[in-house]
Amino acid sequence: MKRSRARSVFVVSSLIAAAVAALIVALPRPARAFGDVGAFDPRVLLVGGVTGAARTSAPARWSWELVQRTSAPGRLKPTQVRADDPAVVDAPFLFLSGENGLVPFTPQEISGLRKFFALGGILLVDDAAVSDEGAPSAFGRSAREQIARVLPDTSPIALGPDHVVFKTFYLLRRAEGRVAGPKTLEAIVRGGQVQVLFSSHDIGGALARGATGAWENPVVPGGDLQRERAIRLAVNIAMYTLCSNYKDDQVHAPFLMRRRALPVGP
Amino acid sequence: MHERLAVNGDLPLWAVVLACALALVSLGVLLAVELRRRERGGPTIVLTGLLAVAALLAAVARPVRIAARESVIGAKVIVLSDLSRSMALPQNGKAPRADVRDAAVGEIAKKAKEARLHVMGFGDGAPVPLATGAGGAKPGESSSKDSTAPRSDLTTALRALAGSAEERPQAIVVVSDGRLDDPGEDAAKEQLQALGRDLKVPIHTVATTVESPADASVRRVSAAGAAVAHVPLPLKVDVGCAGGLSCDELTVTARELREDGAPALLATGLAHLKDGKGTVDLAVTLDRAGARILEISITPPSGDTIPENDRRLLTFNVARERVRVLHVAGRPTSDVRALRQWLKSDASVDVVAFFILRTQSDTPNARQEDLSLIPFPVDELFTEHLPSFDAVVLQDFDAQPYGLERHLPQLARYVKAGGGLIMVGGQNSFVAGGYANTPLAEVLPVTLDGSPGATAADVANVVPAWTDDGRAAPLLSPLHDVVGEELPQMPGANVLGDVRPGGLVLWAHPTRTTKSGAPMPILAIGDQGDGRSIALGLDGAWQLEFSQLGARTSGRGYGALWDGLLGWLMRDPRFEPGQLELVAPCVADAPTKLRVRLPSATAQKDMTVEVRRLDKQDVPPIRVEVPKRSAGSSSAVEISLPPLAAGGYTARLKLGAGPTTRRDFACESGGDEWADSRPDRERMRALAAATGGSFHDATDDLTLPLPSPAVVSAERHVVPVAPSWAWSLAAAIALGVHWFARRRSGLS
Repeated sequence: MKRSRARSVFVVSSLIAAAVAALIVALPRPARAFGDVGAFDPRVLLVGGVTGAARTSAPARWSWELVQRTSAPGRLKPTQVRADDPAVVDAPFLFLSGENGLVPFTPQEISGLRKFFALGGILLVDDAAVSDEGAPSAFGRSAREQIARVLPDTSPIALGPDHVVFKTFYLLRRAEGRVAGPKTLEAIVRGGQVQVLFSSHDIGGALARGATGAWENPVVPGGDLQRERAIRLAVNIAMYTLCSNYKDDQVHAPFLMRRRALPVGP
Repeated sequence: MHERLAVNGDLPLWAVVLACALALVSLGVLLAVELRRRERGGPTIVLTGLLAVAALLAAVARPVRIAARESVIGAKVIVLSDLSRSMALPQNGKAPRADVRDAAVGEIAKKAKEARLHVMGFGDGAPVPLATGAGGAKPGESSSKDSTAPRSDLTTALRALAGSAEERPQAIVVVSDGRLDDPGEDAAKEQLQALGRDLKVPIHTVATTVESPADASVRRVSAAGAAVAHVPLPLKVDVGCAGGLSCDELTVTARELREDGAPALLATGLAHLKDGKGTVDLAVTLDRAGARILEISITPPSGDTIPENDRRLLTFNVARERVRVLHVAGRPTSDVRALRQWLKSDASVDVVAFFILRTQSDTPNARQEDLSLIPFPVDELFTEHLPSFDAVVLQDFDAQPYGLERHLPQLARYVKAGGGLIMVGGQNSFVAGGYANTPLAEVLPVTLDGSPGATAADVANVVPAWTDDGRAAPLLSPLHDVVGEELPQMPGANVLGDVRPGGLVLWAHPTRTTKSGAPMPILAIGDQGDGRSIALGLDGAWQLEFSQLGARTSGRGYGALWDGLLGWLMRDPRFEPGQLELVAPCVADAPTKLRVRLPSATAQKDMTVEVRRLDKQDVPPIRVEVPKRSAGSSSAVEISLPPLAAGGYTARLKLGAGPTTRRDFACESGGDEWADSRPDRERMRALAAATGGSFHDATDDLTLPLPSPAVVSAERHVVPVAPSWAWSLAAAIALGVHWFARRRSGLS
């Protein structure tokens, strides 16, 4: 009898405690954080037959690395957006990756992307099926063709280590991803601002990490050191998105020149 | 009625002359030749000959009798009396120049009784009639005792007379000390001649003053080019000593009058004087744009009798070459990106940015050498370099971890001294950034809750609501033109308190209120001493660019918002609620007028102008109500200020409860006219010589060589003395008698 009473008291107490806890959770309460609307969001662009990120875990891992390594906020649950969705203009960054050739963009998709670029948005095109030597896959070639339809009056140029994207957070000497690929990134630049970055390095492949914590793809030829440099490039691209050409300011010049002269790190 | 005889009016002058000449020749022949040949009866021949010649002459001239009513009118002479303020200079215990001038004008009037004297005063612009009689000034006239003109511009006065439709004068008399602004001290003879050429009259000059008073002064301050904020401005300061004062060197000091404290020393130099004149070059750097008051002063030697011109108060309109903005962000976000890109896209903005890219808790997994990060130079920025910025933007920045807390008093002083501050929201701003209960909170336009556990942010999505003041504010009109009433939904807002007195809420939270029950400010502006500040309690303004609304408006809303915010902070006239300007230069101890220009939307608002001493904060301010205007009336209103003492002033136009429009100005007791107290007799002498006039000292006999008076007939009757036939008959009879007498005397 005593035990059953004690049990019922315990149950009631537990219920009350649970109710209070639920009430506390449910009540509007002051919070310090503003949410992650202004955070870096590697939004996956769905266009030309692409139905998701080629390396599914890469966008979230990209944000996680950014948050761990820098002061920048990142969306740990990145979003996806279709190019013909009006929401394509809701944030300044898009991430397009794939392994197969893209089908031609529809006029609506082209229109949506043009609006995005007109507002100053940045698109990263990451070739997930690039060869180990860095030769673009069908995806890489078709992506260039389709982007040329969106931005017909410009063509990509090579971005070397002097470009600000290689020094927005880490000092990098070349571009690297899952494959070493070419030393440079390619970009469509208008008015000094990068509109589209083309990577023939499969950066997403280097970032992708499974639920068990294991890296999903081997990195060739440099292994873990190359992966680290690939992550650093991803962080730099995110910082470029959030800070623009901040590291090109004159105030940074003497520091960066001194550090560039130091021996190469990992 | 006056009567006289004259030849017939139908006879040309040459015919009269010819007739007279022939008559004289005839008489000469009669007397010199014919009389010698006569045999007898000389007197008869002469008498009849004279009669015959006279009768012939009369037959030709046919005299008429003219009865006329005539009057003698004196020549119009304009006496130009110098009304400039230099005539009020004290003169070493003797009578002031104005008294000598008035006495000279009286003496000229007494001596030139046959002339019609018009006494006018000249100073700035066209001459004005002067009352010289005992009756004092009539309406439209000035008193001869006035010596208040800020300039002595003789050239403009003479040109106005030449261009006047009234009767031209036949002579000009100038009574002055000769210290004229125009023609200047270095005027060439040709320039002086040109002054009389338009009127084609001589200019007589009367010098009131011979001796210089014992005086050391700042005679002239000239700047090489326009004043630009943060750029050294070279000043050339001319100083002088006269009247027997002994000064080989004078110390010259340049200071800026500031509202927030004692005048700031900008430069000092030593002028070496030779022949009573010296020059020193100073370089001053003004950090704040807008009207700035500079005091240029000398340390006078003993015996200086005119202390008023030992210092000049000059208003410099300081322009901005570029707006220098310090942009400090606590972490990189989309909002930081948007603001940076807008700042960098504006060529008129020079932005120095520092973003915190790594906190102590971040693990970049790299050696320091592999990072592009530089130390945040907080001490250097907020001490040494702070005055060089026009505005500071603190965006989502926590003051505590980076050592900014110890510089907050300095930052608050910077704002009160004329700097601009914008605090932009985010999770590290306002209350969350530790700014409550700090000196910086005192210069924000809103209050911050500094109590323990104070709520820092409301994270619910929010669409800011336009307030009536926001809709009417010129600084938000570019944004309103782009987006209308629509604003994007934003991710939360910082919790801000009530707006401070003098502040204005432009956007408010649609549901949340402050402790007083007022809608919580989201965007507020306010004046802080000499400077201004803005509180924007959002970090989602970037969605004016990246959103459905942004796409529809091509992202122009974000630029329009910041164009207005930064422009208002920099006192861009486009974003001011009103304009203030002086109608005429302010003269100490004389009434001053301010012109207030207002938008039509403010016609029925309560408005006051508050005038406060810049250099003496303890002097109570003067407040003047601006009359309300009826709809459709002019947008400009002139208000009178009581006489002000010499010094620097700040006039603030307050429209309702909001921020003020400001105008700084200086009132001088000496000014340009007292800067050089020496009389200039030689210029007066040269002017007279160049225009054919005469030069006199006021103590001389002032009988001037003025033109003779003219005779004017008011009524005229012309009656022939005799009919023409009578003159002809008389001539025939006289000739017959003469012929008879000649025959009797043996002449043919």
